[in-house]
Amino acid sequence: MSQSAPPADAVVFPKSHSFPPFWTIQRVPATRQTQFKHWSNTIQLYCRTLKIWRMNLSDHLSSPLFHNYKLDRWLELEEAQMILEWMASEEGSKRAEWVNESSSGKAGDLAGRTTAWIYWRRPEEWADVIMDWIDSTGQKGSVVTIHEITQGEATTSQEFHGMDPDILEKTLQILIKRGKAQIFGASGEQGVKFF
Amino acid sequence: MGNTSSTPKISAQDRAILDMKLQRDKLQKYQKRISILTDRETQIAKECLARDQKAKALLALRRKKYQESLLAKTDAQLEQLQRLTSDVEFAAVQKDVMYGLQQGTAVLKQIHAEMGGIEKVERLLEENAEARAYQKEITDMLGGGQLSNQDEDEVEDELEAMERELLAPEQRVLLPNVPVTEVDTTVSSEQLSVRERAKAREARRVEEELLAA
Repeated sequence: MSQSAPPADAVVFPKSHSFPPFWTIQRVPATRQTQFKHWSNTIQLYCRTLKIWRMNLSDHLSSPLFHNYKLDRWLELEEAQMILEWMASEEGSKRAEWVNESSSGKAGDLAGRTTAWIYWRRPEEWADVIMDWIDSTGQKGSVVTIHEITQGEATTSQEFHGMDPDILEKTLQILIKRGKAQIFGASGEQGVKFF
Repeated sequence: MGNTSSTPKISAQDRAILDMKLQRDKLQKYQKRISILTDRETQIAKECLARDQKAKALLALRRKKYQESLLAKTDAQLEQLQRLTSDVEFAAVQKDVMYGLQQGTAVLKQIHAEMGGIEKVERLLEENAEARAYQKEITDMLGGGQLSNQDEDEVEDELEAMERELLAPEQRVLLPNVPVTEVDTTVSSEQLSVRERAKAREARRVEEELLAA
């Protein structure tokens, strides 16, 4: 997303990011688990700061996230994929999801997986955030357009401003299931009514 | 895609409001596009001027001016649209209020109907008063209702005694008895004489002074 996002150096990486062993995938399962947890937190922090909703790995391999120029250490594509794969798993508390999951065949096959949604908040959590906003702005029972939620002037101060449309779709589907929202209108020109 | 009509919660008004809001979104997107265009035209004009192509620069600036006028027009349209949307939403609220008032009135009327009108209430109150008067008559006739003054006194005495008993002895605060003797409010003769003597002394002094003079 190329909104007026802050520059890449706005991210303050945690200490572990400049710790050399962090950049080598650990072999001992317990250590690797901790390492991946740290990586997951770092990636979430990076994406949250820069408002990256959908991360293309090949685009970001040369970014300060996956390449520490001071240490002269970097992650290979496969290594980054492993971390995202772990994040997407139950063990990594589903902090990521491959974008082309359905087309890429069985799990564990990393070949086609280069783009993932990074969930610094999962759709269920976004659902709560949006409902809170609707509640606090007294918009229950009124109609809001999809465009308005993510691009409108009223939401510029909200965390979900600029949200990836697919994540919004997932979030709204959750709200519909909960009976809190209803989507209507023609495809591409949809509105949401919140209850 | 979500257009599930299983729940009939979406009304025609909702759709109309959505249409207006979508139109507003479109206008906003259009404005964004135009402002990007004007920025670019300015850029082009600058570049042309730097390359000494005055005519081209002028053309770019003219295009920019025209687009800016479009921007102003869309602003006015946007405002109109937003006002209309607000009006519709407000009318919907008014309708809700009307509905609420209607419901409330209907319920109130129903309750009144159940009570059976003002005449019935009046009749009921009359009957009530009659019944009470009748009861009083019966009581008076039987004579059992009244206690003699003596009985009342005895009852009061008993109540007092009970209250005293209830106040346990240790809780009772021992207060000195109220004095029975009358308080002497007149000035004592002693004090009186003191004052009189002082007066006499003063008179004598004045007299002596007069004599001396």
